[in-house]
Amino acid sequence: MSPVRHAIVWGLAFALWAALPFAATRHVVDLLVFAGLYTIAGLGVAFLLGQCGIVSLAQSVFYGIGAYCAAWFCVQKGLPSPVGMAAGIVLSTSIAALVGWPILRLSGYFLALATLALGIIGQVLFLEWDGITGGTLGIGGIPRIAPFGFAFDTPLRFYFLVWPIALLLLALHHNLLHSRNGLALRAMRDSPEAAAVLGVDIHRLKVQMFVLSAALGSLAGALFAHYVTFVSVDSFAIDRSISFLLLAVLGGVYTVWGPALGALFITILPQWLSRLGDIHAFVFAAALIAAVILLPEGFGGAIRNWWRARAAK
Amino acid sequence: MTRIFVRVLFGLLLLASCQAFVAAQQPTSAPIKIGAVLSLTGPGAGLGGPERNGILLAEKRINERGGVRGRPLQILIEDDGSKPDIAKSKAEALIHGEKVVALLGPSLTASTGAVATVTNSLQMPELCMTGLGPAIESTYKSLFHMLPPQALNARAMLEYIAKGLKAKKLGVLHDSGYGQLVLTNIQNLNKEYGVEIVAAEKFEVGATDVSTQAAKVRAAEPDVVGVIATSPVPFRNARQVRIGQPIVSAVGSSSYEYVKGMGEFADDITFAEFIVAEDPLPHQKEFVDYFHKERGTLPKTYDAAGWDATHVLAQALEKAGPDAGGEAIAAAIRANRYRGVVAQYNFAAADMTGIELDSYTYSKLVKGQYTRLPFKAGK
Amino acid sequence: MSVSLLLQSVLSGLTNGFVYGLVGLGLAAIFRGTRIINAMQGDFALLGGITAALLLERLGWPMALAFACAVAVGGIAGWLMELLLIRPLRRRGGSEDSYLLLTLGVAFAVSAFVLYAVGRDSHSLPGLGGEGIVVIGDASIRTHAVWLIAISLATMAGLRLFFAKTALGLSMLAAALDAEGALTTGINVPLMRTLTFALGGLVGGLAGILVGPLVTVYFDMGLLLTLKGFAAAILGGLANPMGAIAGGVTLGLLESLAIVTVSSGYKDVIAMVILIVIMIVMPNGLLGRRLRKGG
Repeated sequence: MSPVRHAIVWGLAFALWAALPFAATRHVVDLLVFAGLYTIAGLGVAFLLGQCGIVSLAQSVFYGIGAYCAAWFCVQKGLPSPVGMAAGIVLSTSIAALVGWPILRLSGYFLALATLALGIIGQVLFLEWDGITGGTLGIGGIPRIAPFGFAFDTPLRFYFLVWPIALLLLALHHNLLHSRNGLALRAMRDSPEAAAVLGVDIHRLKVQMFVLSAALGSLAGALFAHYVTFVSVDSFAIDRSISFLLLAVLGGVYTVWGPALGALFITILPQWLSRLGDIHAFVFAAALIAAVILLPEGFGGAIRNWWRARAAK
Repeated sequence: MTRIFVRVLFGLLLLASCQAFVAAQQPTSAPIKIGAVLSLTGPGAGLGGPERNGILLAEKRINERGGVRGRPLQILIEDDGSKPDIAKSKAEALIHGEKVVALLGPSLTASTGAVATVTNSLQMPELCMTGLGPAIESTYKSLFHMLPPQALNARAMLEYIAKGLKAKKLGVLHDSGYGQLVLTNIQNLNKEYGVEIVAAEKFEVGATDVSTQAAKVRAAEPDVVGVIATSPVPFRNARQVRIGQPIVSAVGSSSYEYVKGMGEFADDITFAEFIVAEDPLPHQKEFVDYFHKERGTLPKTYDAAGWDATHVLAQALEKAGPDAGGEAIAAAIRANRYRGVVAQYNFAAADMTGIELDSYTYSKLVKGQYTRLPFKAGK
Repeated sequence: MSVSLLLQSVLSGLTNGFVYGLVGLGLAAIFRGTRIINAMQGDFALLGGITAALLLERLGWPMALAFACAVAVGGIAGWLMELLLIRPLRRRGGSEDSYLLLTLGVAFAVSAFVLYAVGRDSHSLPGLGGEGIVVIGDASIRTHAVWLIAISLATMAGLRLFFAKTALGLSMLAAALDAEGALTTGINVPLMRTLTFALGGLVGGLAGILVGPLVTVYFDMGLLLTLKGFAAAILGGLANPMGAIAGGVTLGLLESLAIVTVSSGYKDVIAMVILIVIMIVMPNGLLGRRLRKGG
């Protein structure tokens, strides 16, 4: 495709993205905001799985840490939102490094179980340390992100905050996939012994990726807190981790856009199905199963295969 | 001649007024939309389901009687899946999408926290099915609670423990969700009643067997054992490790399905709750009979809470007018010292329910049947 | 902490532990036969439990018949799942993660379906030996729990015998270890896979009717059971079903002892930390042989 056509396609896509929230109802824009948040958190799970072969069920912990830090620093301490966000990322990455170092020596299902164990530990601690987290009652009144007096307080405004961040991160994901580091990661995933022989420090690379994944989860959590303005333990349980894993695999873990597609599926579809009444949960599960069977490489994979098939003609 | 004329005129007048009367009874104009966000799936489904029953029944009854100012109520119910984020999304959809005039629910404290931030910023009246949550709620002007704060539930339990059973030592077996909330409040109040908490053992919601925790409670040799959970498992395990002491529990643990699950162990358990349908108080009888007639089963607290909430809202809409705007409707709710099935409400009170200790009805399970105790809390 | 409290915690831990182990047993059996982690193993238990509850409550069937039927339902569910869902995915080239996602989707579907069809109420099942308890010293354990332990051990021994001695069991193992080789010797590999899932379903259904009298059966019970069963199976070394029982008992005892020695609030934290330590220190699981690193 020529550069001009490229630019036109991208321009149109951008215009569509920018116009969408004005055309859609407020409720749909709200769902799109959540899709954006889940894209960021899900991206962390996706590249960890796709590039490193690591199944992580611990993302809900970092999501929660990001949210609670935002809540604590802004509500208890009255500091501006960037402080809370930064603190959350620092705390999450430190914990990821500290805990990741020993457990990333495991592999396969052991590692998956270890991340599950982390998820459960996080869930319990969020509940137990209710002096900081507010326990089941939660923390309310989290202030909006408001740089220079412009408050991101409606779904429309937040859409234009969260999606640029998500798209930027997806672009960086693209860079990662095509970089030397990306090659090293895939070498490590597919053939650890060969990678080791070639001088790749597998363990260190794994920890770095885990830390990066945690940072993304934390960022998503902080944004979540400032959007909903209320956080409680119910949002950071194991089923949240399962949702992130779900959207990562559904979207296609080997593709750049996968997380966004998966996130859209799990936020928009349930809403659309709720008009069916009490049976909507079952129909969603059935749709999920159908999506997995029909598109084993996820939405992103299916689109990429279709694109390649077209290009081959 | 004049007499016939007067009689005909009178007859016509009578006919016309009958017509108007009948027309007023049949609500024919545009329905008044009310939103409801309830937990119909997930762990909160045990609360949301009954609340929906009560709300739908109340809607039916109110519409049978002519609706509000001649207009029928239309209650749109959404499920928040027991998740606060979804509750907020659904609330926003109802408010901005369906343009409801008021909101009922949610069923869980965390969901209430999330939804209240929305309704408060819009001055929309919200009647939630939970007790007072985090402190920030007391600044909200249009939020009202249908159930008492956990502090009052704790107090009601302690009243019976200290004054009814004359106990000095309390052991508590509780779950990490609902149970923890109530326990925290018991821990704030027990000294006031001269009751010492000799054991407090926790288990996760949905645990298979809590005999170890129950045994720990038993080993502390309490006079009374408090079991607070949303499952029959701890009640069974407590009796199975041979805890012979009387068991006292809170309103959230009292439901017919839990009693069924307790099997033969549903005995000598006292609840500080609000309605004993087998032996209702006079002002509860109408609701109990209507519920039983329509559904074939007996109602419990959460069914009644849904019923009360809908009626409170209907009365406020009747008084202020459905198009009066959020603030006026909220003011009408606040001014109404409503005598509900659940309790005597006073929405102007600081805790936004105004329920007092004397609204509590104590029930005791005797061989699987609820009986009403004569014990009354408070002065 | 008194001896009787310690004893009670051991009994309680064993009860819970064998529940986890039984779920893990089914998981391990399916993994051994198909290399698939079945994220809906706990929901086989749900299906078994709810079938038994409905047959007993609504149709008034005798206990033995209802229980047998419930276990069969689990087996049928497993068989159908493999035939209708797993096979198509296999034909289209599913990766490990997509199988996991598929079984996760089925878990959601089963849970949602039970909620829709039966409602949110919880149902209780009668226990073997009714409500009787066995008293040991000052501690007690439900008679039903003793039956559960006995039946779990019997199932474990039975499975071991089945895979080691019977022609069918050996064929299933062969199909799992080397599909092409097994084909050449005339083993119907796809059928073996289906039977593996059916077997897992049977064990899951059995777990359901055994767990049902302890907890109550309700639409949301599957996930927690699956998580605990997963931990039990991994701990025991995934490919060894006997290990799943050992793993489950370890987990159950860890939790119980954590309650009495530290506190009930932190029991999961302690159990999970020790779990991680065990995995790091014993890379092949408690009983597993080295099949693939990390299970």
